[in-house]
Amino acid sequence: MNDDLQKKITDAMANPQNMGELPNADAVGTVGNSECGEMLRMWIKYKEDRGRKIIDKATFQSFGCETAIAVASLATELIKGKTAEEALSMKTDQLAGELGPLPPMKIHCAELVQGALRSALEPETESKPAAGTPASQSPSLLDSFSKPKEGSVKVVFLNEDKKNT
Amino acid sequence: MMREVLELYPGAQRALFKRYHIGGCSQCGFQPTETLAQVCQRNGELNVNEVLQHIRTSHEQDAKILIEPKALAEWLRRDTTIRLLDVRSREEFEAVHIEGSVLMSQPMMREIMAEGTNSRALVIIDHEGKQGLDAAAYFMGHGLTNVRCLRGGIDAWSQEVDPKVPRYRLGS
Repeated sequence: MNDDLQKKITDAMANPQNMGELPNADAVGTVGNSECGEMLRMWIKYKEDRGRKIIDKATFQSFGCETAIAVASLATELIKGKTAEEALSMKTDQLAGELGPLPPMKIHCAELVQGALRSALEPETESKPAAGTPASQSPSLLDSFSKPKEGSVKVVFLNEDKKNT
Repeated sequence: MMREVLELYPGAQRALFKRYHIGGCSQCGFQPTETLAQVCQRNGELNVNEVLQHIRTSHEQDAKILIEPKALAEWLRRDTTIRLLDVRSREEFEAVHIEGSVLMSQPMMREIMAEGTNSRALVIIDHEGKQGLDAAAYFMGHGLTNVRCLRGGIDAWSQEVDPKVPRYRLGS
């Protein structure tokens, strides 16, 4: 981790933008699983602009990784004013914005953000395959994140656990 | 082992990330079965004792922000203006929450920041006390000083204050 990147992540973390649930959102996407501490949820609100449906506002909630929070914070700013297709065509390094290229061990964090975006935006693109998805990668976590949309947070009461055992 | 380090110092993951950028998520982090020495070794041969000291210092700082469940219950009886901010997911909040608490949302975040008052206390609630400190640090970083974090989260509240609040785990 170079110092410059670390400083940028620290700066982004010091004032993350767009955190928290967005009431009356038009779309919600969730990836990951809060059980293992890396869940990211994104809310999107659209508006009409000269005949185009563009992203008016995007917010996120993250559990766990601070790099993902930093990327999500920047990405939710960067996708404003874009259509769903335009936002989906952004690659992970574009979503990370001013953080610049992420080291290999941190690319996963940006993929988490990209996965949440896909989860939220894909209904708008009528299930077209998302452009800009890294095609060369072996089975990526992004693939597993993108599968189920619902049920990412499942609350199991402990007394029910006892009943079942 | 890291599992034991985290049990002893729940804020260790935050502390390691903030200073050394170690950890964060399961992909870029460490395994619970690794030793601290191994983690230090593969992250640029960090000095184990120095890292451990940093974890301890951070733990002491965290401890100042934490409030015990029983102490919070008592405080709530005395002060009805305390704002209980729940930073868990909506599913968890809807399944179970502490009476009077509110789920964190974008408007709520803005309201708290705009209010910017330190006369009204803010208490962060999470599930098991693992994420609340981050949220507390965020608000404190923005000038709010009257911020605390419920030690052990709602899970500890269920066990130590109100057994009617059912305990839960997150399934997949």
